[in-house]
Amino acid sequence: MASTDKPTDPEHGKEIPPPKPEVPAAAPPAVNCFVLDVALRVLLFAAALTAVIIMVTGEQTKLIPLLGNRKAKFNHSPAFIYFVVALSVAGLYSLITILASTSVILKPFFSKKFLVYFAYTDVLILGLVASATGSAGGVAYVGLKGNKHVGWIKVCSTYDTYCQHIAGSLAVSLFASVVLVFLIWLSIFSLHRRPSAPPL
Amino acid sequence: MVGGVEGLEKNGNEVKMGNGRTAKLYELLLRLLALALTLVAAILVGVDKQTETVPVVLVDSLPPLNVPVTAKWHYLSAFVYLMVANIIACSYAALSMLLTFTSRGENIILGSMILILDTLMVALLFSGTGAAIAIGLIGYHGNSHVRWQRVCNVFGKFCGQVAASIVVSVIGAVAFILLVVFSALRLHKKSK
Repeated sequence: MASTDKPTDPEHGKEIPPPKPEVPAAAPPAVNCFVLDVALRVLLFAAALTAVIIMVTGEQTKLIPLLGNRKAKFNHSPAFIYFVVALSVAGLYSLITILASTSVILKPFFSKKFLVYFAYTDVLILGLVASATGSAGGVAYVGLKGNKHVGWIKVCSTYDTYCQHIAGSLAVSLFASVVLVFLIWLSIFSLHRRPSAPPL
Repeated sequence: MVGGVEGLEKNGNEVKMGNGRTAKLYELLLRLLALALTLVAAILVGVDKQTETVPVVLVDSLPPLNVPVTAKWHYLSAFVYLMVANIIACSYAALSMLLTFTSRGENIILGSMILILDTLMVALLFSGTGAAIAIGLIGYHGNSHVRWQRVCNVFGKFCGQVAASIVVSVIGAVAFILLVVFSALRLHKKSK
């Protein structure tokens, strides 16, 4: 366990003041855990935002013989619309919890209650992001390979940059779900640790 | 992480919950529920098969030719993924139930392992159902933009069975969510 854990996180240095002198000696690990929490949530926000932006900007128009100009866009498939909505919700959620987590660092009075609420809502958001990644991935796979049993032709040979956008977006959202899994583990393991800290 | 585990180990002996047995019983029941649901979902996908005769008109002057067409679960990779995810979750539920049942008292390392894997099962099951729902929707409605035809007007029973499996599998995933929430709640109570 890190003993010298002044919050020296370079990217959040501006919003995290040094720990208060009245905090008891055993408290620094808990504070440190919330700093890690905020860092992971910032990462989650960045990942969700990037995934949404990459997905929305993926747009390609191609000239198809006999059919004229055909455009490929994310809102042509309900799975991709769901993906954009789910990742936007995850991004908004991470923004709110960044504020909540920062307020816990400033005022460690509520920390235990917040940890439990975070654990609940994080699991729900994990379900949301995982299902969005799964649905977009399922459709993208059919788009990439096609399916001859049901006669669905592959479209990624035509819309190459569009499919690259979708693939990039999927990779980022997979990363976001990994971050969420780590966040849940962090919340629950700091609940494990809570009893050894002095009563708050 | 290691420090946290030691912290509880020290504390787990002092803080003994009065309703520890009931909590364990609820957890076992929830695991049994998850096991049954994921098993049913996997079987529903695994036995899904439908053969239909489709009239195909080759030449307009001749009567249509009846061709038997079969839909099987392994034709679509999303359904394969759904079944594999359900099988993994099912076997994990059986294993974790066995381990929870046989372990006496508070086993911290085992508890942490089970918690970590529970979280992973939530993600696995939700991504599996998400993929199957997305493909199923294309099956029901088709997609005119990329000219993918709908197939559920021909294979109605097949699609219904997949839909049933998806519903059961979502309930199984919710059971795993409850398991994670449950252990967070228990730790919260214990630390009061």
